[in-house]
Amino acid sequence: MPSFTTDKMIGTQTASESNNDVVSINVGGQIFQTTKQTLIMAGPDSLLSQLAESTCPFVDRDPEFFSLLLSFLRTGTLPSKVKDFDIYDLIEESRFYGVESLLIESITNPSQFDGFALQKSLVLPLNGRDSPSAIATTSSGSVHVAHGSKITSFDWSLRRKWTILTQFTAIDSLLAISPKLAAAGATDFSGLQILDLENGNVKEVLNWENVTKSSSTVQAIGASSEFLFTSFESGRRNSNSIMVYDINTLKPVTEIGHYEIYGADIDSAIPATKLSWVSNHRLVMAAGSHSGLSGVMGNIKFWDIRSGNVVFELKEKVNCFADVCVSDNLNSIFKVGVNSGEVFYADFRILGGGDSDDSGNSSDIWVCLGDGRKIVNGKKEGSGCKIESHGNQVFCSKGGDIELWSEVVMGSHRTSGNRLDERVFRKNTMGRVKDMVGLKITNLAFGGNRMFLTRKDQQAVEVWQGAVRGI
Amino acid sequence: MPLSSPQDIIQLNVGGKLFETTVSTLQSGGPDSLLAVLSTGPAKDSGPIFIDRDSDIFSILLSLLRSNRLPSTALRRFSLQELADEALYYGIDSRLRFAVSPPQLHGIDAAVKDTIRPAADAIPSTFSAAEDGSVWIAHGGQVSVYDPYLTYTSTIRTHLDDITSIRWVWPNIAALGSESTAGIHFYNSSAGRHVSSVHWTDPTDPRIYKARVNAITDSTNSIFASFDCPHKENAVLVIDKSTLQISQELGRQPGNSAKTTVPEKLTWLPETCSLIGISVTQGAFGYSGYIRMWDPRSGEVVWETNEPGSGRSSSRFGDPMADVDVDVEGLKLFKICSKSGDLAMADLRNLGEDPWVYMKDTNPILRNTNWSSSGNSMVLHCYKSQVFVGREGELEVWSTTEDKKDESQSDLVNERLGYKRNYVDKSDDAERGVIKRIEGGGNRLFVSREEVEGLEVWESSNFSGVLSVS
Repeated sequence: MPSFTTDKMIGTQTASESNNDVVSINVGGQIFQTTKQTLIMAGPDSLLSQLAESTCPFVDRDPEFFSLLLSFLRTGTLPSKVKDFDIYDLIEESRFYGVESLLIESITNPSQFDGFALQKSLVLPLNGRDSPSAIATTSSGSVHVAHGSKITSFDWSLRRKWTILTQFTAIDSLLAISPKLAAAGATDFSGLQILDLENGNVKEVLNWENVTKSSSTVQAIGASSEFLFTSFESGRRNSNSIMVYDINTLKPVTEIGHYEIYGADIDSAIPATKLSWVSNHRLVMAAGSHSGLSGVMGNIKFWDIRSGNVVFELKEKVNCFADVCVSDNLNSIFKVGVNSGEVFYADFRILGGGDSDDSGNSSDIWVCLGDGRKIVNGKKEGSGCKIESHGNQVFCSKGGDIELWSEVVMGSHRTSGNRLDERVFRKNTMGRVKDMVGLKITNLAFGGNRMFLTRKDQQAVEVWQGAVRGI
Repeated sequence: MPLSSPQDIIQLNVGGKLFETTVSTLQSGGPDSLLAVLSTGPAKDSGPIFIDRDSDIFSILLSLLRSNRLPSTALRRFSLQELADEALYYGIDSRLRFAVSPPQLHGIDAAVKDTIRPAADAIPSTFSAAEDGSVWIAHGGQVSVYDPYLTYTSTIRTHLDDITSIRWVWPNIAALGSESTAGIHFYNSSAGRHVSSVHWTDPTDPRIYKARVNAITDSTNSIFASFDCPHKENAVLVIDKSTLQISQELGRQPGNSAKTTVPEKLTWLPETCSLIGISVTQGAFGYSGYIRMWDPRSGEVVWETNEPGSGRSSSRFGDPMADVDVDVEGLKLFKICSKSGDLAMADLRNLGEDPWVYMKDTNPILRNTNWSSSGNSMVLHCYKSQVFVGREGELEVWSTTEDKKDESQSDLVNERLGYKRNYVDKSDDAERGVIKRIEGGGNRLFVSREEVEGLEVWESSNFSGVLSVS
């Protein structure tokens, strides 16, 4: 009886001729009408924009999910009835229609990140008994967690996970190159491994050829959009270096900061344990510290990759950093002092101004953001504190709590010349009363519009996020 | 091609609700399914095909056929049993079973999914898991059958007071053995009745009498059961699977020493057509036992090892095995040492006088385990190329990193093998009781504990288990 269906087809076509942009789609027996413009929103390669071009399209899928995705295309947000469905079903369905990336962007939009709105909202449990040693995030809000010799990855919806076994005993540094690829290293294992997180394969092992021909352990990993930086130390701990790789080809580009230790020059013996890319100034920040008899000392160096030179250096002899981070948005570096446990900042404009005294210590560059009380007992109050910046704010963990530092922009000071030291920062402790005084925070990272943290002896990852529309 | 031409579109009226789908979707359930038959039927011209069933369940099953996965909300709205019944009606139950079956079991990422508790006498005396994920639990003289969805199917009361070995020999037939009753007994699960019993007798030796069964395994054609008499004389009997009659007797031995006691574990190796018998006994001087390999065609012993052996034959003298298991797919033997608690591996293709490779423990949180040798219970089970070890209440797994070829030959042996030890459980799990038996089936790991009711089901999951705390 094909003639009958043809008649029907002609009927629908003539009806739609009055408005050429209206498209009728039969999804699993239910007719949806929409416009070509709406369908084209899904992107040129998606199935939906193909539907806009075909005549009398039929899609053999569940109409309920199509209706949700159509609302999403029309308004840019998911309708509230999506709560009756499992978000994972919707993701699978969006993959079929080719709108998954649109959906990811809408739900985990990093530009929607708001430090003030973050609240402890989800806990991702880990199987087994190993506590997380390192975490890595991606911009879409997915997270990889290294615990023991395993890496568990959670996708951007945080509903799916998969675990791989690595050759490491414990992973100390982890960095997500892409959602499926990560760089992992350990201070007791030679070489940087590029791991395929989907099937657990080692894609590549990057080694640093040191002079003593001993193993080269990984002390820190960092990345920019073009480069992958790795801080290596030789197994005999008498030389260290920072290797720069192309992040796409993983081929070595250059080597910066190669130090061989002769004699008792402690300072050069300190390998970088934190590497960050300063995109405003196109510099690599390499920070390392050493705990000795005379206290903790360290250095923060800013490297220009192209020339291979240190542009400026901060020598940390008094109240060395426990952790340090760079904020591009605030154009500053922040540290938490190991002795005082207080947060300091240093404005890049001062560093760039050549005020830094190469021979002396850096204490006059740092501006203390706390009440500036002096260290009385010399206890390492800042030991183990983490500091990270994201967006326009700086997050500093102190024990089980997180301080949120934000700049208050004072109208008068902005225009009154170069009084840089008058920038105003204020702090808040994050979370509600019930969330405070938890176990000590061991890792802190940001991805998408989420903050991830792990705590001592907890086989879980805490996720802090603002109210997410739709889920 | 998701866009279909109008000729392929088929209309179904299920319980008054109209569905449109394609012929190929309906046929994807298998050529014999009701839906496939309907889609090719002659009724195409006379409007939608009417099916007098519930439309809500049908919509879920149609989603399953279309996307090859079950919507996550399906199990909130309907029980698995309802879905399974309805899928059976439409003839697409294999698709449903595939969609709800657990993913590949990874011991490094597994958790207790469920605990099966029979209604009465719920302490399992033994159990047997099948590759489709179903399990038969022997408890208090009863055998309870749980289907691949782990829903309760039926219970058979047997004439045995205490079932200590169970093996599935035909899809409906279980072979049972008891330490208190002589003979091997076959029960039909669907009919719930006794089929037959086989006893070990010897017309020339009247002392072979009242022999009890200690272990049962099977190959495609035969069942192997180890029998021992009250006076300890023992042998492995080969029973023909189709006639359920004894066809052969293997390795008869007096049983008066640790080297000749009855095998407690039997494993058939299809690759080499050989049978492996394992016996480990714990006496006043610690563990002792043997591993023996027979070729049933000749009835000869192909290889054997005894522990504690002479000093020369074992590099770990004084550290005898506490349990042994065979990795049938990987053709490996694994043993756990009673004193040190170390795991050792032997390649079944290359057995010699001392074939063992001892694995070094690299996980620091496990390294400090206070391992005292005496009286600790250790259970070993190989499944899916992983070795699961129960130490008292703790469950650990030894698994390899995926990428073995990458390692160079010069590395240490255990690194070349790449076996890593990890805890499967949490410390809370270990407090539930001493692990008595571990068995894998259908990507599930079943664990029973001493004097604990119920059977734990461990599975890996791709669901993150995310908890909302706000």
